[in-house]
Amino acid sequence: MFRFIRNLVLGAAFTAGAAAAHAQALTEIKVSYQPALYWSLPFYVATEKGWWGELGLKATFSTFPAGVPQIAASASKSWDVGGTGSVPAVLGAVRYNLLTIGLTNDESVGNALMASKTAADSVLKNPQSLKGQTIVLTANSTGDYAVQSCLGKWGLKKSDVTIKSMGQAEIISAMSSNNADYGGLWAPNIYTLEEKVGARVICSGKDAGAIVPGALVVRADYAKEQPENVAKFLAIYLRTWRWMNAHRPEAIAMMGKFYEIGGVTISEASMRKEFDTRPTYDLAGQLKIMNRGAGASDVDKWMTQIAEFMKSGGTMPEVPPASRYVTDDYMKMVDRDPKLKAFANNPN
Amino acid sequence: MNDHLPPRTFFLLTTVGFCAFFAVWALAAASGLVPQLFLPSPLAVAHTFGELTQRPFVGYTLQQHLASSFGRFGMGFGLAVAVGVPLGLAMGWFRWLDHIVTPLFDALRFVAPIAWVPFAALWFGTGIGGPVLVIFTGAFPPCVINTYRGARYVEQRYIEAARTLGAGSWLVITEVLLPASLPSVVAGLRISAGLGWQSLIGAELIVASSGIGYLMVKGQSNISTAIVMSGMIAIGIVGFAIDILLRALERYFQRR
Amino acid sequence: MASGFGGDSRNGARSRTAVGVATFSALAALWYWATVATQAISPAFFPNPAEVFSAARQISIDGYADSKLLGHFLHSCKLVLFGFAAAVAIGVPLGMLMGWSRRAEALLNPTFLLLRPIPPLAWIPLAIVWLGLGDAAKVLVIWFAAFVPAVINSYAGVRSIEPYLIEAARTLGVPRGMLVREVLVPGALPLIFTGLRLSLQACWTTLVAGELIGAIAGLGHVLYQAGLDLYPAMIVVGMASVAVAGVLMTWALEWLEAYSMPWRSA
Repeated sequence: MFRFIRNLVLGAAFTAGAAAAHAQALTEIKVSYQPALYWSLPFYVATEKGWWGELGLKATFSTFPAGVPQIAASASKSWDVGGTGSVPAVLGAVRYNLLTIGLTNDESVGNALMASKTAADSVLKNPQSLKGQTIVLTANSTGDYAVQSCLGKWGLKKSDVTIKSMGQAEIISAMSSNNADYGGLWAPNIYTLEEKVGARVICSGKDAGAIVPGALVVRADYAKEQPENVAKFLAIYLRTWRWMNAHRPEAIAMMGKFYEIGGVTISEASMRKEFDTRPTYDLAGQLKIMNRGAGASDVDKWMTQIAEFMKSGGTMPEVPPASRYVTDDYMKMVDRDPKLKAFANNPN
Repeated sequence: MNDHLPPRTFFLLTTVGFCAFFAVWALAAASGLVPQLFLPSPLAVAHTFGELTQRPFVGYTLQQHLASSFGRFGMGFGLAVAVGVPLGLAMGWFRWLDHIVTPLFDALRFVAPIAWVPFAALWFGTGIGGPVLVIFTGAFPPCVINTYRGARYVEQRYIEAARTLGAGSWLVITEVLLPASLPSVVAGLRISAGLGWQSLIGAELIVASSGIGYLMVKGQSNISTAIVMSGMIAIGIVGFAIDILLRALERYFQRR
Repeated sequence: MASGFGGDSRNGARSRTAVGVATFSALAALWYWATVATQAISPAFFPNPAEVFSAARQISIDGYADSKLLGHFLHSCKLVLFGFAAAVAIGVPLGMLMGWSRRAEALLNPTFLLLRPIPPLAWIPLAIVWLGLGDAAKVLVIWFAAFVPAVINSYAGVRSIEPYLIEAARTLGVPRGMLVREVLVPGALPLIFTGLRLSLQACWTTLVAGELIGAIAGLGHVLYQAGLDLYPAMIVVGMASVAVAGVLMTWALEWLEAYSMPWRSA
């Protein structure tokens, strides 16, 4: 009898131990992003599809309303990896040693100078009429970058206009109540204003010839401690884009849900526009734009242009060399590992 | 104080006051003087409010957002009271403590809680310490100021009378100082609760993924003034409830 | 008396200043030690004295966020004074009325209680929609914040007057106007001034919120921009500037308080 009980207890303990060990097999990884954005959709989709677990990861998420608090929180190690705008990414590189390990998307079309319904026509005909006007935008953001690139394209200087900085929500409020005629916004806020008050895009980053990338970032410490996890994270992100591009209708449905959770309701046409106008990169694409074979890579150039923009705005004293914070080491890790490579290129 | 109103009349007049508020609002909205965007009618807002309690917006229902906000508020406010009231009393009693703390305090209390948000994000990241810090900086000053001034302005003769009767310091503090400063303390608590609640919203407007402040920002992004106002109403209701509780507390102490 | 109440003697005031100075010096020393000497606090978390000094230099001489320090300071003071004056002019009489008349309290309290807990920040969306991006919207937000403590403390002030004083005045047949001037106001004044101090504080703290509405100058604007730039040293400079401005205004208020309540030992 005693032996029976002993065996039972031992067996239970053994099973419990094994279960615990198995649960620990899923490594935790802290991912940060901003909600209801095109480039953060993959985090949602990957969770729905259970792809984190497939690579042995358990992702916990933290969301932020903007890039600045997001990178501030990295200082206390609240998150390990994530996606953010390129402007916050550069700021994070300079302040808190964040590395840019890939691009989320090319959102040059998704960052634009908009005008209210009444003011749009005159500006479209003659951009010089912007002189002396007030533009509301969110400082230190990709929206800011797009607007100033547009001004540059028209030969206007920052001093030719009055720039007022405020959050995107305030900008929407101001423009929808006719208290501001010109604003710098990013998607999906662009579509919200278009659909709800008839505002129009005057000039996007793309129109101004400025490439506005979105960045995948990681804390430098974490990258050193857990490079394999970083590579896995990249592989999951890449796979999700592959899947979404191959299963567009399903992706759009998920986007609708994801955006709704983040408090954004835009039409399906606008959602499709997001997919159509914002290219993403698969593994080969990422490697290509980060390739330093012929000197600075494309990503280096784009990020440096952004850094120069921030320097001219007084946010940073100097332009950091891209080689210091942009690295394709982790993309290369994915490329070298056959299992990860296959995973990342899997369109299903 | 002056005209003693029978409770029924008081209640009636209060109700009239309530109705007047809504009547003015409804008239302003219906008059067509302002577009729907500027001032949705009370009915429209009520409808949106109801919807928000049923259907989740930005991830949670209205009640869930409120609960989330209230939790943060409770922690920050509790901390402010626990530290602030004793400190105010001590400052009123011990001159030297007053001399040390007051200069610091006089400087810091003008700094907006919202200005601490970058530091809160830096130090606490996504943890609850962030919002608690921000609320604390908002709720703390009134607790200390009102308690301190309440203790300071206690009539000298009460203290002296107690002392002549042979009361030791502790007794003087608990039986004379505390009760005499209580009106001021509770007035301070009421203000502190109000400021603490406000600071929370400020913090949530910048670093949060749930809560009533977050709900309002998202409402604003959606050009839904009705959602924004629903948020304001929800905030108003909770604040109102907190205030009622504190007033009951005030009356309890007055009776003693 | 070791734990005295009552007047600050000359010695008292001097020793008070001395301790104040000593406290600040001690804190400054602690700050230097923690951030520079021992590096116990890394620069990412809190700036060291040198960084703050260089930020102060930058904003005073080169300018930051579209203006120099003095320009920001004056712009903010202007907004605060408008909001404060408006809040006091409306709030104190209203609070006193509510404290005096139960009828007034019953009618007005609901509206007040409903609007009171709404944070000034929450008014920003409506303020932008109603008043646009100019100074008016900012003053509205600031006014709202300062209004509340003024009303509450004025109300408490009137309520705190000993009923026998009112009765005495009544029995003496004192006319209404004199009753208000000679009994109510002086009686309520201590708490009214507590309220004013809090209103002033509320003005400054709401300034940052107010200047979220498209400011192009002001200390709140500096704080907002420094937050966006993740420039903690400049945030500290902004906070210190706000503190200095607030302290200066409070001194003015305290002078006014002592002047209007000479029977109270300071």
